[in-house]
Amino acid sequence: MIQQIFLAVLGVSAGILVSAGVFTVLLSVGLVPRFAGKTHTGRHIFLYEEMVVLGTLTGNVFSILGESLDLGGLVREKMLFGANTPLIWNAASVITLSLFGVFSGIFVGCLALAIAEMLDSIPILTRRIGFRHGLGIMVLFVALGKLAGSLIYFALHFYETGL
Amino acid sequence: MAKEVLYLKLERNVEVQQDEVRMKDLGKYTCRDQKILDRIKAMKVMTFHPEEDGGRKVISVMHLIELLSEEFPNLDVENIGETEVVVERVCTAKYKNARQTVKICFVSCICFFGAAFTIIAFHNDISIIRVFDRIYELVAGQKPDGVTVLEVSYSIGLAVGIIAFFNHIGGRRLTKDPTPIEVEMRVYEDQVNQALAETADREGKTMDVS
Repeated sequence: MIQQIFLAVLGVSAGILVSAGVFTVLLSVGLVPRFAGKTHTGRHIFLYEEMVVLGTLTGNVFSILGESLDLGGLVREKMLFGANTPLIWNAASVITLSLFGVFSGIFVGCLALAIAEMLDSIPILTRRIGFRHGLGIMVLFVALGKLAGSLIYFALHFYETGL
Repeated sequence: MAKEVLYLKLERNVEVQQDEVRMKDLGKYTCRDQKILDRIKAMKVMTFHPEEDGGRKVISVMHLIELLSEEFPNLDVENIGETEVVVERVCTAKYKNARQTVKICFVSCICFFGAAFTIIAFHNDISIIRVFDRIYELVAGQKPDGVTVLEVSYSIGLAVGIIAFFNHIGGRRLTKDPTPIEVEMRVYEDQVNQALAETADREGKTMDVS
């Protein structure tokens, strides 16, 4: 029992500190204000914060409790949507996964460039090589490079090198 | 005749609803002579031509002082606000249509899925399951099976931490302080306005005296 209480205290403390750490990073690159600024929806910043909170909690549930929480398997086993369950669930998962992919991709893309910008790498580079125009082309090629790198990473099994 | 003093405080950024920009749109004024004050507030500064300047103009305080001294040679102008003001022409209708809703949904989706992805990637990065298993083994002296108290309490801690950090839950504030993203938003706006003013200055598009 004491062990369980100790583990609980440890877990809660770890959770609080991790959330502070993760969000300090997310905030200091200032992504959300930029999204709101770009779309002129600064008045809804409250909603965006709520979505960040909800997203983190959802992601946390799936990554920490994911192995024990086999949602898809449960639906398929119990045939929750009647006889057509496999079909419906396949369609639902394709839609959910593509939504997740597109939006998390946008987020990570913005995050990557925001971090690069925070380190002033782009202003320093343009000053060193002394060009005044073509910043748009440079950004385009950074994006194309990221796209190519990402595709190569998944297609050529680069992730195996990290295991 | 004694000189009247006009104190003016320029705003950093103003939004106007009509094409004509008058003095009173740009900041706050005070003067002992109410008649002069009223005339100054009604003075026309510029007119927007939507197709030419893209609905945005940077006006220097020098330009305003020039205008004022032409009109009132006996007036001393003291500016105690910004030296440049960014004027933006906005259409009120723009803020209430369906496109706005689509944008809000879009940004909400990015925030939701992006945050979910970030926390999953972070957990993956630090191999949190293995860390938890090891801690559990260390404390309990046996291998964990299934979800342990550690994982549940970590999740609770994470939620508490986020809510304390962001200072609100379900649309309700915990304290009256602005939330971190609101603070960041103001910082970002300030930087954007400063950049707009400096870019216009460098390109010579500021309404200024030569």
